[in-house]
Amino acid sequence: MLARVLESLRSWEWALDGWIIVAGALCAAASALVGTFLVLRRMSMMGDAISHAVLPGLAVAFLVTGSRASVPMFLGAAVVGVLTALFTEWVRGVGKVDEGASMGVVFTSLFALGLLLVVQAADHVDLDPGCVLYGAIELTPLDTVTVVGREVPRVVVMLGAVFLLNLTCVLVLYKELQISSFDPALATTLGINARGLHFLLMTLVAVTAVASFETVGNILVVAMLVVPAATAFLLTRRLSVLLVLAVGFGVGSAVVGHVAALAVPAAFGYASTNTAGMMALTSGVGLLAAIVVTLLRRGQPLRIKNPPGSPLFVDGGGTVRVSGGGR
Amino acid sequence: MFKVENAEYQSEPALPGRWLLALFLACFLPSATAQPKAYPYTVVTTVGMVTDIVRQVAADKATIVGLLGAGVDPHLYKPSRDDVATLMRAQIVFYSGLMLEGKMADTLVKLARTRPVHAVTELIPPETLLEPEEMPGHHDPHVWMDPAAWAQAVEAVAQALAAFDPPNAALYRQNATRYAEQCHRLRVYGQKVMATVPEARRVLVSSHDAFNYFGRAFGLRVMGVQGLSTESEAGLQHINELVDFLVRHEVPAVFVESSVPRKSIEALVQGAQARGWRVRIGGELFSDAMGPAGTYEGTYLGMVDHNLTTVARALGGEAPARGWQGKLSAAH
Repeated sequence: MLARVLESLRSWEWALDGWIIVAGALCAAASALVGTFLVLRRMSMMGDAISHAVLPGLAVAFLVTGSRASVPMFLGAAVVGVLTALFTEWVRGVGKVDEGASMGVVFTSLFALGLLLVVQAADHVDLDPGCVLYGAIELTPLDTVTVVGREVPRVVVMLGAVFLLNLTCVLVLYKELQISSFDPALATTLGINARGLHFLLMTLVAVTAVASFETVGNILVVAMLVVPAATAFLLTRRLSVLLVLAVGFGVGSAVVGHVAALAVPAAFGYASTNTAGMMALTSGVGLLAAIVVTLLRRGQPLRIKNPPGSPLFVDGGGTVRVSGGGR
Repeated sequence: MFKVENAEYQSEPALPGRWLLALFLACFLPSATAQPKAYPYTVVTTVGMVTDIVRQVAADKATIVGLLGAGVDPHLYKPSRDDVATLMRAQIVFYSGLMLEGKMADTLVKLARTRPVHAVTELIPPETLLEPEEMPGHHDPHVWMDPAAWAQAVEAVAQALAAFDPPNAALYRQNATRYAEQCHRLRVYGQKVMATVPEARRVLVSSHDAFNYFGRAFGLRVMGVQGLSTESEAGLQHINELVDFLVRHEVPAVFVESSVPRKSIEALVQGAQARGWRVRIGGELFSDAMGPAGTYEGTYLGMVDHNLTTVARALGGEAPARGWQGKLSAAH
């Protein structure tokens, strides 16, 4: 068994596996940066909603420009990202339904619209549904572009740019994001445009989701957005540490996920499995480990003590009841 | 790919940082080059039909790795990480082309930037290719079903290998000529046995539209439950039309394919039965994949021989039970 694992790892090739890990790590890091704020704002499922809702944006961008070039695709995605947030707010306000329901209505409607547009242009659009749903991270090392005289996978360049974009936004607007995430009312009284920040965040989520389509696909990108941030959230309450840990967990799950995709099936005599799936699974296992660590550390099963006075932990009947005990 | 200018590094005093960088970059260098440095060189192919003809032409000069094994459907195949690793080791790549390898085509095109990649159908004159009505502008990719057309694919392989490895060009041409001759002889055998099938019964109904060239070469009317690619599902109306046809023309047998699930053909059989016409499954044909490796049916000639013999016998014609060269495994 061990021999088979070693055998599978001997087939390691940096030109292939190295780039797969780089692509996965960049995708995870870019996602974790924006995902942290989604988790803090209790809107984790917004990532799911937006990653589906961008489809009409992509279809329209394609129909207008006639190409699959990255820039129009990102513009289309960004526009629809903001629209999703706007519509969700509107449906919640006008329809008097809760956020989850309005999100469900909006993103399925947009996804359906996108589907109709894609089918309408079916013969011309080379949008492989399988690729969009599950990604094809294994193929990324073959599609290269020349960057300063070097062949770099196109996807790595794209994800690197998105990672830098997210990082810049987070660093520049750190204070504003922090206050508006923890206390929107306070942010408004301080003169921070909380609504604007909200839409900026939605735009970044949409762009990140599109950039991740080719690596992990639009289902597993939800895991990359939410799980590392949720894991980090169990271990720290400081935003700066939270961001660093979330990115660290994301990158770690990319590395461990790819190695596991090679080694785990090999242990049972099978060929390597899907890397994106293994990455998401690894981050899930990481979350589980963090829960166990937290429980052991507190010595207080299923109860996590609140830091007093933190507005974040005033439980409003949210879905994940992390807080609530010991007060 | 990247160029690491070793000479420059060697002329300078060794800086550990630079050496590390060079080493790091060297890891990312592709191991394959355009000309063979040593024999056997590595050839990677897609479907078995291509693998087999490349093996016949290259003989012992190359190690041939086929990505798609027996019974694998090329229309739906997606390369895995191990396949990409194999492709990156390839010094020259052959695939069938004409969009047979639907989802792999993009991958192969990208690969062509760094090494020779050839579609074996590239030499076949487009005017001899079939253009199905439902897909204008696209050609039917199942060319190997006509051994005469596949002989042209053999020629394409010989030309590509001769350009890649000029010292052995004569050998490749000689191997190709000998193999193409066998293709033509198999075609003659096929026409002879199909001529023994009563004319009204020369109908081949199978899982998907893979047999159009087969039909053209051997004088059969061909119908498939699914379209050209197995990706599209069969419509109910189309199945009803096929059942109508089977009943009306009293077609004795329909055929399943080794790389396509049987359920659509079984639907036909049941449909016809409900209308009081017993049509039987005449056997399993090899359409997009060959038989098991190591058997006669696992070679290109064996696969076509099997199809010819099975169809001719099931439709009431006369053909030797063990086929053209008496090599078929089971009695047909």
